[in-house]
Amino acid sequence: MQYDLVCRPASTAVRFALDAGDSITCEVGAMIAMSSGITVETTSKSRGGGGGIMKGIKRMFTGENFFLNHFTAQQSNQTLLIGPTMIGDCIHHPLRSGSMVVQGSSWLASSSSIDIDATWRGFTSAIFSGESMFWVKCLGTGDLFLSSYGAIYPIQVDGEYTVDTGHIVAFEDTLQFKIGKAGKSLVGSFLGGEGLVCKFQGQGKLYCQSHNPPSLGKLLGPKLKPR
Amino acid sequence: MLDPNQQFRGGVFHHSIPDGRIGAEIRITPSEIIAEPSAEALSAMDPSEVARLPRWVIPLSECQVDLGGASGRMVFCRNKERDLTIFCEERGFAAMLGDRSGGRISEQLHLVRERQAGENHRFRFWLAVGAAGTLLFGVIGYYSVLAAARFAIAAVPISMDEKIGSMAMQTIEKEKKLSADHPATKFTTEIVDRLKPHAAIPEMNFKVIVIDSSEVNAFALPGGQMVVYTGLLKKAESGEQIAGVLAHEMSHATLRHGLQRVSQSLGIVAAIQFLIGDAGGLLALGSQAAQTSILTSYSRQSETEADLEGARMLHEAGLDPESISEFFDKLKKEDGDIPGVLVWVSSHPLHEQRIESIAKFKSTLGKKEYSSLDLDLETVKKSLE
Repeated sequence: MQYDLVCRPASTAVRFALDAGDSITCEVGAMIAMSSGITVETTSKSRGGGGGIMKGIKRMFTGENFFLNHFTAQQSNQTLLIGPTMIGDCIHHPLRSGSMVVQGSSWLASSSSIDIDATWRGFTSAIFSGESMFWVKCLGTGDLFLSSYGAIYPIQVDGEYTVDTGHIVAFEDTLQFKIGKAGKSLVGSFLGGEGLVCKFQGQGKLYCQSHNPPSLGKLLGPKLKPR
Repeated sequence: MLDPNQQFRGGVFHHSIPDGRIGAEIRITPSEIIAEPSAEALSAMDPSEVARLPRWVIPLSECQVDLGGASGRMVFCRNKERDLTIFCEERGFAAMLGDRSGGRISEQLHLVRERQAGENHRFRFWLAVGAAGTLLFGVIGYYSVLAAARFAIAAVPISMDEKIGSMAMQTIEKEKKLSADHPATKFTTEIVDRLKPHAAIPEMNFKVIVIDSSEVNAFALPGGQMVVYTGLLKKAESGEQIAGVLAHEMSHATLRHGLQRVSQSLGIVAAIQFLIGDAGGLLALGSQAAQTSILTSYSRQSETEADLEGARMLHEAGLDPESISEFFDKLKKEDGDIPGVLVWVSSHPLHEQRIESIAKFKSTLGKKEYSSLDLDLETVKKSLE
């Protein structure tokens, strides 16, 4: 399987060149176009993996879909084009060991060898940071494709790193993530408009996005006419 | 029981590794932690890179441990120079480390756990304090706005009530309005005229219209315009009961509850505009809110105020203040279980308390001989058939 990120960076889509037997698992609704020699199978479990219904339900809590789409090439020289819902960039992350914790809507596609599960992030982070209670956990080895709202940028964290809520795309399992205040005082943090932020500790790779969907919602919401 | 030959799956951070990180198989000997690239990691790598990869070793005697990772349970072992990290999340890894180091590493891990728990407790404590503070601030703010609105409404001229009331009146269905010379309209107007001199604002322009509808309802708009439905007239047993309803509704107008509702529903912006006297803005805001549903759904406090003010008016006019509670008690007993019919009663909560408070208030008014209205309700009812 070969991939190619096209139309970067504002409206990125991923184009796969598949050989017979190659398979890729995608988010429901991500497919833009495909060759006629590809079959689509929709299930709630990872290809060849277990879990099924329970994993599907857990995934729904993360903001992802209950189902997963598995695209398999039946012939050689097949093309599959997929894209995210929000306008922005996509990135390829080779998962070689351990797991990757991905923010609900940022998981786009992965090799069929990667298991897509949900992981609990706790009430505190959900209530105070506006992040989801559950995050997507990608476990196994293979290729991972993540999407962002706006630009995506990787950071190699070694020590401590702070990201505003809503700007996290994904982070490696070796990083610890806690909710904390942006400044020294809690009141100052809120008056400064930053409120609570996400603090990462440890060593590992972190992907951030330049924009965040909740801010767009807050900006547009009051301007929309009630139906 | 710990298996001395047990292998754990984990990983290594070191500058010699392409990308800095690799999946590894880890063993703990009595003196060292040894990590070797896992088969999966090797299969994904270029063979020339594989040949260059060393075996990573941290002597147990100089190993520094820490806890972290996405789960918070991942164990990180670092060498003295802190340039090599071997990490693992598997069960039994921490116990094996403790066992092989003669308890030294277990002690380190215990201290790390205690420190992290302390940090979490402190953070949760301050979050709870912050949440409580925000709530308190919100409650104080809410009541300040209410108080400011009440204070400001007193400064707004009555003509403003009338304008808002007229705007709302335009939205009410006029087709089913009974004519001015209809017996029902004359009857209700007569009652309003008798109560008017005893209103808190006698110069208010009280008007009443009757609408042909089976709904048992009546309401007042800001400025003194009132609407009575024929369903309510048909239900009443006496003119005094209707006088009770009208006195209650007139009190909503004189106590300016409609304007209070507007100011509350429009929030702090309106309250400030009231205060600075921006009448133009107020009128525009009022027109947005000129829907009877907003203007006539009052708070429990407003209802109680209107009850007592209505009772005072009835008393002054020589009518029994308890005729008001008498009427809605009758409605509740007869048809209380039919939903939707008794709009007037259902919008007025806590029945028994109100009856009680009216009776209590009456006892403070002093003794008086109450008369009857001397109006013919039966003729009115016949004209509605």
